[in-house]
Amino acid sequence: MKSRVSIVKAVAASLGVAALAVATGAYSQNVVKIGEIEAQTGALNTYGWMSSQGMRIAVDEINKAGGFEVAGKKYTLQLINPDTQGNPQQALIQLKTMIEEDKVKYVFGPFLTNVFKGIEGYARQHNGQFLLMGGATQIHYELGKPGNDYLVRTWNWDAGPSGFGTLMVDYLKKKGVKKVAMLMQNDAFGHVAADVYRDAFKKAGIEFQENWFEPGTKDYSAVLAKISAGSPDYLFPGYTDAVLYDIVQQATQLGLTKFWLVRGSLGPALKNKDYIDDYVAYIPKYFEEAEKSEPKVKKFVEAYKAFYKTKDFPYDQAPLCSSSCYDHVYMLVEAMKKAGTVDDVAKVKNALESFTYDGLWKIRYDQTGEEVINFDIVDVQKGGKITVTHEQPR
Amino acid sequence: MLQLVVGQLLNGVIVGTLYAIIALGVTLTFGITGIVNFALGAFMMLGAYFTWYFSDGLGIPYPLAVVLATLAIALVGLVADQVLFRFTRNNLINGLIVSIGLISVIVAIVLMVWTTTPQNMHYVLPGVFRVGGVIVPKMKAVVFGVLLLVILFTYAALTRTWAGRAAYAYAQNPEAAALMGVRTKVLQAGVAAYSAALAGLGGGLYASLYSITPEIGAGYILKGVEAAILAGIGSVMGSFAGGIIIGVAEGVGSIFLPSAYNDAYGLVFLVLILLFKPAGLFAVSSR
Repeated sequence: MKSRVSIVKAVAASLGVAALAVATGAYSQNVVKIGEIEAQTGALNTYGWMSSQGMRIAVDEINKAGGFEVAGKKYTLQLINPDTQGNPQQALIQLKTMIEEDKVKYVFGPFLTNVFKGIEGYARQHNGQFLLMGGATQIHYELGKPGNDYLVRTWNWDAGPSGFGTLMVDYLKKKGVKKVAMLMQNDAFGHVAADVYRDAFKKAGIEFQENWFEPGTKDYSAVLAKISAGSPDYLFPGYTDAVLYDIVQQATQLGLTKFWLVRGSLGPALKNKDYIDDYVAYIPKYFEEAEKSEPKVKKFVEAYKAFYKTKDFPYDQAPLCSSSCYDHVYMLVEAMKKAGTVDDVAKVKNALESFTYDGLWKIRYDQTGEEVINFDIVDVQKGGKITVTHEQPR
Repeated sequence: MLQLVVGQLLNGVIVGTLYAIIALGVTLTFGITGIVNFALGAFMMLGAYFTWYFSDGLGIPYPLAVVLATLAIALVGLVADQVLFRFTRNNLINGLIVSIGLISVIVAIVLMVWTTTPQNMHYVLPGVFRVGGVIVPKMKAVVFGVLLLVILFTYAALTRTWAGRAAYAYAQNPEAAALMGVRTKVLQAGVAAYSAALAGLGGGLYASLYSITPEIGAGYILKGVEAAILAGIGSVMGSFAGGIIIGVAEGVGSIFLPSAYNDAYGLVFLVLILLFKPAGLFAVSSR
């Protein structure tokens, strides 16, 4: 009797294990894991935070709609998005876990050049096995190089004939600006920015002065006083809100009241609106205005408020959803549908580069795998008066 | 150029008082109680966060928010002394290890509560003073005035009161001081709480000038220790002078040398001074 009970128990256990294995296998076959390597907190989280916010909404919407169909099979998405805090070592560990343990084939981010440099070597070793879709400026220089097929850049390039930086420099030129002083963080992106804009200003015939500060600086009085003595027309400060609030406040105290920037939000301008004269910023989309005229933007704002159960929409951060964010998840899904596969990353990449996605932005990738999007130049003047110029790169 | 130099001299003096207030805390705890407490930088950071939270989060008027934050940090310092630091008296290594542990805990708590995203307080006192082309932000002038008063008060209390003389006696010979009726345990706890309060006050005033992040304490304790060593541990007015020397070195150095390395200019002064006066600029000779 005892042995019969044991046999029944053993058979039942075996069947249970088998059923669980089948169920697990079937589940994993129908889930596409997507990863994200971004700073969601930290001094450099300006860019990664909004990306992670938008990605969560897109994944939730797609899954709630029943997923998506590729080659006759239904899939849902699973988002793995730890917080790098802007730390390259942390990001490397997280990427390794995604690639080796979670078997993720599509990773969004990073936006930060220092983080990209930290993971670049490891990522290249896995070329062909996954796609890394990030906004980091340094990715621009790596696109198209042998062994870098894994790279897609999810932000538009500063320079070039239709780059936003070039158009921003033209905007200053039209204002009759003769001299611009840059005050940039002495780090990887700071030097990339200096290289890009030194040439852009030179071509435009505008004098360009370079000034640097150490990461972690809070009191910029000395360097700002030195800059002020040179009487530049505009200050070009960089490059995150973490430094911009301090720089803009201290600069206005020293009589530097005109700013031009290609990274960062309107927040510092609005906080200091009574002290600035002009604050020209590259803003991928001025949401306050777009919400009233673009139904997709209005829908996104409502979805955000509902998903995060908040009445406040982060208008200052939302423009950074132009990189590895809400639209990009939908675009990846469309690419998988067009490619007829969720596993063949080369086919998905080709599909990704073959169409224009019409979402919050009109997004396409050029032949090198770099994003081309429409954007706005926002000009904040004393008192907070705002003028928006819409740009549509060719 | 003259305006630029004068302006940076003034700015260096003002910024230097923030270093000096931390240096004063370092010099009091080490010079009087023999305890090394590098967590004073973390106390300063905590003071900045408390002030910001009390003021912008709870709507308490800024001056009251600073007072409350200072008292709260004094309490934190007192608890830290009673639970941890009092066991590290005259043991540099133990003090250092306890400091590192406590800093990690404080930073981790701040990260959990407020994340590492920088916080910006409302403008407490906007506007600037302009004197002959030299510009001084009004709030910086107020911060300088408050810190100067606190440093002078501390100096007077230590040199002109019975408690101050008792503190010096305790620093020189704790046993003899106890035999003379000094309540040494109360004195030590008082010095620890007062040093923490100084750091908390520094943090509260800092929050009115700059954005706050969990790592600000690390930079300020470094500058504070630099200033205290430069002056000579144990000298109250020396701490003040040490802070100002470092502040001025950074400010004026940034005019003539690359601004990207201004943190190094104070260190250069420290090395130069220690080469010629190893005990510090204002150290009293033991002979």
